[in-house]
Amino acid sequence: MKDAVYVLGGEQTDFQRNWTKEGKTFMSLFREAVQDGLEKVGLTPDEIKKLNKQNRIGVFVGNFDGEQYAVQGHMGAFLTEVDPCFFGVPGARYEAACASGSVAIDAAQTKLRSKDYDVAIVVGMEIMKTVSSSVGGDFLGTAAYYEKEAKGVQFPFPKLFGKLADVLLERYKLDEKRYMGALAEISRINYANAKRNPKAQTRSWFMNNEHANARGGEFNMAVGGRLAITDCSQVTDGAALVVLANKNYAEEFAKKKGTKLSAYPKIKGWGHRVAPITFEAKVAESKGDKWVLPWTRQTVKDAFDRSGLNTKDIDVFETHDCFTSSEYAAISAFGITQPGKEHEAIEDGVIDFHGKKPINPSGGLIGAGHPVGASGVRMMLDIYKQVTGTAGDYQVEGAKNGLMLNIGGSATTNYVFVVGK
Amino acid sequence: MREIKTVTVLGANGTMGAGSAAIVAAFGKAKVHMLARDVNKAKEGIEKAISSIKTDTIRPRLIPGSYDQDLEKAVSESDWVFELVAESYEVKEPINKRIAKARKPGTIVSTVSSGLSIARLADAFDEDGKKHYYGTHFFNPPYKMILCELVTHAGNDKKVTKKLGEYLDKTLGRAVVYTNDTPAFAGNRIGFQLINEAAIKAEEYSDKGGIALIDAIMSGYTGRAMAPLDTADFVGLDVHKAIVDNLYEMTKDAAHSTFKLPGYFQKLIDKGDLGRKSGQGLYKMTKTPDGKKEKLYYDIKGDLYVPVPKFDIPFIKEANRRIGEADYIGAMNIVKEAKGLEADIARYFIARYVSYSLSIVGEVVETKEMSDLAMGTGFNWAPASAFVDFLGGPKEAISLITKAKLPVPEVLAKAKAGKPFYQLKDILDARSLFKG
Repeated sequence: MKDAVYVLGGEQTDFQRNWTKEGKTFMSLFREAVQDGLEKVGLTPDEIKKLNKQNRIGVFVGNFDGEQYAVQGHMGAFLTEVDPCFFGVPGARYEAACASGSVAIDAAQTKLRSKDYDVAIVVGMEIMKTVSSSVGGDFLGTAAYYEKEAKGVQFPFPKLFGKLADVLLERYKLDEKRYMGALAEISRINYANAKRNPKAQTRSWFMNNEHANARGGEFNMAVGGRLAITDCSQVTDGAALVVLANKNYAEEFAKKKGTKLSAYPKIKGWGHRVAPITFEAKVAESKGDKWVLPWTRQTVKDAFDRSGLNTKDIDVFETHDCFTSSEYAAISAFGITQPGKEHEAIEDGVIDFHGKKPINPSGGLIGAGHPVGASGVRMMLDIYKQVTGTAGDYQVEGAKNGLMLNIGGSATTNYVFVVGK
Repeated sequence: MREIKTVTVLGANGTMGAGSAAIVAAFGKAKVHMLARDVNKAKEGIEKAISSIKTDTIRPRLIPGSYDQDLEKAVSESDWVFELVAESYEVKEPINKRIAKARKPGTIVSTVSSGLSIARLADAFDEDGKKHYYGTHFFNPPYKMILCELVTHAGNDKKVTKKLGEYLDKTLGRAVVYTNDTPAFAGNRIGFQLINEAAIKAEEYSDKGGIALIDAIMSGYTGRAMAPLDTADFVGLDVHKAIVDNLYEMTKDAAHSTFKLPGYFQKLIDKGDLGRKSGQGLYKMTKTPDGKKEKLYYDIKGDLYVPVPKFDIPFIKEANRRIGEADYIGAMNIVKEAKGLEADIARYFIARYVSYSLSIVGEVVETKEMSDLAMGTGFNWAPASAFVDFLGGPKEAISLITKAKLPVPEVLAKAKAGKPFYQLKDILDARSLFKG
């Protein structure tokens, strides 16, 4: 890709926190995320003021459902509440369900590549523990075709991804026990990885393969067909911030920091595809295709084409494991295995932390947490950490290139970014 | 240190015993002999263990037994004997003698004690036993409160301590705080100092709201989910007494007088009003005639329960508002500048907490981070060092402590300005402990 976009760094909140219990609102979440993020990157209010005066900086906020969870819209304007240095800075909110963070990143990189702005602050945020899980489940149903797929359905998304599990099993004629064991292993890996991540929601929670396989009963209730609680990501409050820049500013910034431009990774490729919104239409459309989620696969291919890289070049993946079945399908979408052979990569430890193609060293959505509008930005931040060797205890050794897949709805909006030095 | 595959838990029917056994069986994948006075009690412990960690998959690894029938056999095949029997030398020492006879060389033996001397308890063992004897002080409930104070004594081997610390941290997921063999160790020493002094102040201001007033002043904006006297009620006034009596007897530091149990605590204990576990203590829940729940507090002077009033303390409202907006420094500025008795009390206790937490560095723990971690993960209280930053840095904190006529801890006096004093940000976000 021409006109590289650089990632200057960022920060996320501790996804273990429950802001409502703390007596705090979406605004406090937003404030802490922005203040921490800018401090970590080293972008000062004075610098933001200067960039704003020159009309070189913009703000991009990913958020799915502030209206319902926080009774607040217009999230793109809220950096002005964090610091007066944001007065006048162009900002807007971007929404694509669970891919809201990615659509914000995409809007930002577009403005940077076109040189409309030189710096973009991207924030993803969602506060979800303001309501009960059943009410929240209904809110999340609006990421599907609500009227057809979610209205009156308790926890619609576990059910939709439970159907994905069914289709994968049937389409590839998989051995059920082996397949469900592979899904349990996905859960185990994500929880185990989350233990190394000091910001992960489940870092002190218990999980092992035995428990993940013990579906049904009071401790691991079935929630969506074949899927049980351990197959699901959690309800999470959280926010993440990354600062992106084009070469114009990244060079200036590197100089200011006394480092080289090469210290910062680039967005090397991206893909964005939208599949039919209903799950039924997706399945019908994919009949006869090698992939059950062909548009997800296509998005990965698009990102590979734009980056000139391929699966063999990717050292680390962050994927959208809203459910174990979505991570299962992603394995072949990444090209790690052929479709229908994903369980082999899981069983052989390929996607494990120390495996050849580690997926979700952060813990992913299942382990690290899934604050819907923040997930895409959190993934970008984690890939940034991996390729800059700053992921601490969850660093994948020698990671040079990383890929993130962030999906909205039942794999409807698909976003992929390839990031590396 | 041997790999820990088999563990014996003594006192397996108690909340702490069952909860700790669950951690060892689940995270450690160990076979656990659950021993109690009789097998039925042990079986009750197994059910408690399963429900505490919410996984039935540990059931096959939990084996019930009794002290009389099974102790020697269980201990002889264990890699770790975890003793959680009653908190007294009279109960623990005879059990230790039996453990000492049955244990294999290299077996770790540890106790959960809130205040007994680990070195004295280690005396029951031979040289190898002493080397492998520790305090492993878990907190209640173990699955939620991840602190483990690893208490060492002079007879320990540093290599074994290191390995045990790693096991507790990496395998069992504990926040390990290394402490010396001093009364009540780190968490309870700091926590019960504040709780007992709050109880003393409640008596001093009993005509102004007493217990309810002090808890209102020490509410969420001071960095705690549960106010101190409510905490005493939660842990039980008898447990509180055991801890502070021991501290009063065994310590002679600058806070010595604050460990004296107030008379009204003893009065309630004598009546059997031990707190939540006995239905009433410092507080009591009741229902109004129209069926609504109502919280009453113990009016010390009147010796009766009266409704907890809604205190209207403007500076607390404002501090809460600031915390709610994630403005922690702003909230502390409000506390620093507020006028009136309530503000004086708030400032005193913040100063006391910071002063005392940091004063144990050197004696009980090696670093202030250990003290901070103990309070953050064992009590869910905002660590002292985080207060220092929110108060505006070491200079401001020293000023607050000096005004309260309390000792300035050495570690604070030596701190450099302009650098964050709190160093555990990536382990524990202290802001999460301030409630708006």
